[in-house]
Amino acid sequence: MSLWVDCYRPKSLDELHYHEGLSARLRALAGSGDFPHMLFYGPSGAGKKTRVACTLRELFGKGVEKLKIDQRVFMTPSRRKLDVNIVQSNFHLEITPSEVGNYDRVVIQELLKEIAQTQQVDINARHRFKVVVINEADTLTRDAQAALRRTMEKYMSNMRIILCANSTSKLIAPIKSRCLLVRVAAPTEQEMMKVMKHVADRQNFRIDDDNVIQEIAQDADGNLRKALLVFEALKMQTGLNGPITIAKPDWETYCHKVGDMIIQEQSPQRVMEVRTKLYELLSHCIPPSVVLKTIASHVVDKVDESLKADIMHWAAVYEVRMRVGNKKIFHLEAWVVKVMSLYKHFVYGIDMSSFD
Amino acid sequence: MPPAKEKVPVKPQGRDIRGFFGGSSQTTPAPTPKNAPTRSNLIEISDSEDDKPVKSKTLPRPTPKVTAPKPKSQRVMDDDDDEELAVKPKPAPKRKKPTALLSSDEDEDVKPKAQSVSERKPTTRKAPVKKRKDEEFIVSSGSEDNSEDNFEDEDEKAVKGKAKAKPAPKKTTPVVKPKTTPTKAPVKAQPAGKTKDEGDKSTNDPKPNWAAKAAKLAGGPAAPGSKQVPPSADPNCLSGLSFVFTGELSAFSRDEIIDIAKRYGGRVVGQPSSRTDYVILGADAGPSKLAAIKKNNLKTLDEDGFLELIATRIPDSRDPKLKKKLEKEQDAIRQAANELELREKKASKQPAKAAAVPLTSQLWTDRYAPRTLKEVCGNKGQVEKLQLWLHDWASSLKSGFKKPGRNGMNTSRAVLITGPPGIGKTTSAHLCAKLEGFTPIELNASDARSKKLIENSTNVSNTSLDGWMHGSGTTNAAGVGITDKSCLIMDEVDGMSAGDRGGVGALIALIKKSKIPVICIANDKGAQKLRPLVNNTFNLPFRRPEANAIRSRLMSIAFKEKMKIPANVIDQLVTGAQSDIRQVLNMLSTWKLSGDSMDFDEGKHLAKMNEKYTVMTPFDITYKMMGPYMFSATSRETLNDKMELYFHDPSFVPLFIQENYLKTEPAKVKHDAGPEKTMKWLQLMDKAATSLSDSDLVDSMIHGPEQHWSLMPLHAVCSTVRPASFLYGSGGGYGGQNPMSFPVWLGQNSKQNKLNRQLMDIQARMRLKVSSDKQELRQSYIPALFPYIVKPLMDEGVSAVDTVIDRMDDYFLNRDDWDTLVELGLDEYNDSLILKKISTATKTSLTRKYNSKDHPIAFHKAQDLGKVPKKIAAVGPAPDLEEAFEVDEEIPDEPEDKADDDDISHDSLIKKPKAKSAASGKPAAGGKAKAKPKPKAKKA
Repeated sequence: MSLWVDCYRPKSLDELHYHEGLSARLRALAGSGDFPHMLFYGPSGAGKKTRVACTLRELFGKGVEKLKIDQRVFMTPSRRKLDVNIVQSNFHLEITPSEVGNYDRVVIQELLKEIAQTQQVDINARHRFKVVVINEADTLTRDAQAALRRTMEKYMSNMRIILCANSTSKLIAPIKSRCLLVRVAAPTEQEMMKVMKHVADRQNFRIDDDNVIQEIAQDADGNLRKALLVFEALKMQTGLNGPITIAKPDWETYCHKVGDMIIQEQSPQRVMEVRTKLYELLSHCIPPSVVLKTIASHVVDKVDESLKADIMHWAAVYEVRMRVGNKKIFHLEAWVVKVMSLYKHFVYGIDMSSFD
Repeated sequence: MPPAKEKVPVKPQGRDIRGFFGGSSQTTPAPTPKNAPTRSNLIEISDSEDDKPVKSKTLPRPTPKVTAPKPKSQRVMDDDDDEELAVKPKPAPKRKKPTALLSSDEDEDVKPKAQSVSERKPTTRKAPVKKRKDEEFIVSSGSEDNSEDNFEDEDEKAVKGKAKAKPAPKKTTPVVKPKTTPTKAPVKAQPAGKTKDEGDKSTNDPKPNWAAKAAKLAGGPAAPGSKQVPPSADPNCLSGLSFVFTGELSAFSRDEIIDIAKRYGGRVVGQPSSRTDYVILGADAGPSKLAAIKKNNLKTLDEDGFLELIATRIPDSRDPKLKKKLEKEQDAIRQAANELELREKKASKQPAKAAAVPLTSQLWTDRYAPRTLKEVCGNKGQVEKLQLWLHDWASSLKSGFKKPGRNGMNTSRAVLITGPPGIGKTTSAHLCAKLEGFTPIELNASDARSKKLIENSTNVSNTSLDGWMHGSGTTNAAGVGITDKSCLIMDEVDGMSAGDRGGVGALIALIKKSKIPVICIANDKGAQKLRPLVNNTFNLPFRRPEANAIRSRLMSIAFKEKMKIPANVIDQLVTGAQSDIRQVLNMLSTWKLSGDSMDFDEGKHLAKMNEKYTVMTPFDITYKMMGPYMFSATSRETLNDKMELYFHDPSFVPLFIQENYLKTEPAKVKHDAGPEKTMKWLQLMDKAATSLSDSDLVDSMIHGPEQHWSLMPLHAVCSTVRPASFLYGSGGGYGGQNPMSFPVWLGQNSKQNKLNRQLMDIQARMRLKVSSDKQELRQSYIPALFPYIVKPLMDEGVSAVDTVIDRMDDYFLNRDDWDTLVELGLDEYNDSLILKKISTATKTSLTRKYNSKDHPIAFHKAQDLGKVPKKIAAVGPAPDLEEAFEVDEEIPDEPEDKADDDDISHDSLIKKPKAKSAASGKPAAGGKAKAKPKPKAKKA
């Protein structure tokens, strides 16, 4: 028995609960026979991949649901071996090039060319082309994106590409101009509540109090996946009767603790303690920008109005630095120290500008 | 002489780079005479003139003092002119009325202190204000009052002594002025002024200006280069004295002052003990040293007192003890030299030998190699041990190496001598062998020493016929009498590897059955390839001998060669060469070609030229960088020197700095207190952290796709120099309250990579069910899955195992992934907490049940299908350890290759339970021992 979020995932475009206009357009595109390259973008938990899967089903029929995972080995020019997992059906395949970090270019080049040069062998296939879904397209390196450019035009007859990204800002313009951009916005609270009710129906229980699911929807912040996961967890724990308290995930409470530590004390010792905690968060695979964002918003909640803007400003500055740099902890720590300094400054109200 | 006024015009000549880094550089390192004298005050003139030679005259002042007794005022005028040429012939503005005798006089007394302290804030140095501050400073520093007075007394004496000596025709004339005898000073206004001064002090006492003092101290230490070393009373004026320096001096860096002390024959030791003569105290002396001073009741001096000592002290040659000691030393040297001479003469008489190598063409290192054990410098104990071992060798062999003997050495057939080059390892080995009547067979790096050669060419079974063939009187090329006993000396064993395959292994095998003693010699004991050798031999580590162990030997050689080199110069050479006797001898023999004498500076230069480049450890570098001296005002390190430290190890040093930069108490905020200190401290931290953040950006340009290696110097500055320049200070050392530590970044980073990889694995497996990427998986799914696959085990124990396994199968998770999920937990889901709550029985049951069932698998990982790597062990005789090591490393790669190749074709197994699972549930933590052997992948 899987989790509800996986159980009741819509399989076809008709089953989707929101963004009906988008669904209609996708259906039209799939039927037209002139299917373009596409770029789905939107926040996580909005339903991008669900829509991609539905569209593929619309294009090729049920065959696309027969998935298998391949592990392919690619060789870099420096003779390093790269393992890449490829999820594929007879009609499409799905890769996550960011798995191999900086070597994603190799994967893109080799794999796409290989597919582009093979024609569809299944005579019953509805379309001559195969679809390649590239996940986490916004983490593609510049080189990999450049490698995509020409391939996308040259092999149009054999292949279509669907890119899936959280934001288009990191994609180069040539790629964007070759794709049909499809924005999958986060669902509204009402839409999320509708989905939750649908799930409850399928699960055969009734929701007596709309406030409960509304609270869940609010907490999820537009992430339907999160909402459904929390929904299920709460159902299992409390039965969803009466008031609920939504438990934060482990990493979030941990981030909040770090935020509290920053506010409680400002000293070198405290910075070193915070550093240990940050290391803990990073090593447990919490992305540094999420760490920074969570801590910053927690700190901002607790400090005086006049400091909020500054703290967020510096968080933004160091987030950019984090993206450019390699060692995330350096920037996180610099931000922590900056906040401590600002905070202490505020508390003492001393003008230190004269100090060199 | 009003000092305040005079100092103003001297402005910093070159901008110090420290200023660039926010350091408070405020003074000129240039040795410009500080005091441009004025003629404002004729009444005072005699005094101020007297004051000068002590304080401010340049050391080798070439212009002889005016010899003719002139009227005093006139003389001063002359003198002033001399100096003013160097500065600026600008008539100082008259600040005081000539009648203001008392105030100016007082000014003068204040002066020495003022020089050291008041110069910290050049910006605030407005003449009138400053004068007040000076007074106040002295007043407020109650604790220093004592020494202050003391010092002033001395100063006065010196002043008077100088005054007396002045009419003497030459500056170098020793000024005879024993400390204790009160000088019969020429009567001057001084005493009056002094008492008045003291009176002033006492009246000022009640209202010390603390703020002014704090401001002054905060400005950092004063004026590097503001003081000159006075001409010494005697070239060896400090001989026989030992000094300890602590704290920060105002005008000299630690290195410089040590250099000065050594130059005049003083001995500098690190820690004060009862045998220390003087402790020179600077600002912020270490508390432990102060305690030691108190305990041992040591004499302390400040910087000026020390300079004073140089200017005035004459080693008392009448002290019988000292004299005797000196004479004894001289005698010893002479005697040793004579011995050398005799030996050479004797040698030259033996016609055969002389023909072989004429003595004059021999290297000094050969000519003066030790001939007796007594002549070996340093490591006496080790050499004796070696000799004893050789002596007992025969009986040890007879007893089968069962009796350990006095040193516990007699159970070994071989010894391994290790130590840095040039300290006499080979010499000692040969000497001992010779003395014990062994014929040394030496094999060194110039011989091929492969396994075969070692086995064949050495006389392991001790069946030499040399002695029998040649009769008893013959010697071999090295001049060693050939006997029927031989001894193998394997020199430079750490050079054995490249062409000598199996060399070390063969050597060990040889040692195990050897019938002759084997002496192995190497430099680095810790080397990986010597590891087996270390275990099979008795280790005799040789240390670098102390300078005094080598000194007399070198002195006698120098004497024999008719070179005039003072002891302190020899010491300098020895320290410079890091106790490498061979190098010092080579240096001397080269020097001999150009001259017969060497003075301190030449010695220093020579040592510098022959300096060996040593790589410091990152710990030492961090300690040095973050320590209190690197960025202090008296430090002489340039930006380049500081960056050089980074380049010792560019990959590690930044990490060390990042790890440890918060552990010091910054010198910059040392004198602040309360909120101000906290604020400043945080601000410094902020700057340092920002700089580190910058450094990472630079680093990503260097190591990123752009490969801008030319940015390395910038990285050095951003990552190392700049952060340290803000936060340098005490407390971060080895023994401080925040001991320096190894960067945790490395460990954390590899942990992160590992967990990331495992998370990716899980994501790949769950991919068929779950649409999320791995970040979402971590952030949303894992907390959501936790109540289903981990919590039941905690709450219900064994009974929950089946449901947990079902749930795992839903998502194609295997037993390993379960571990990963637990490991990824944070906070209250921390893996150690969780695993504690799950009983061992539960874990065992989970493992066992998981392995006994069949599971759906999403796909085969390459490794799952791989054949078990064949171990190449037990093929033929055990190979040499080095070889075995290499082979081990190669194994894992090959089978993987094959697995990869056939893997791709087998993947239609999805969701189809197989007869035998290939899911390699590796038995995990708890249930390892009891777990069934895992089923092999059938399809492979």
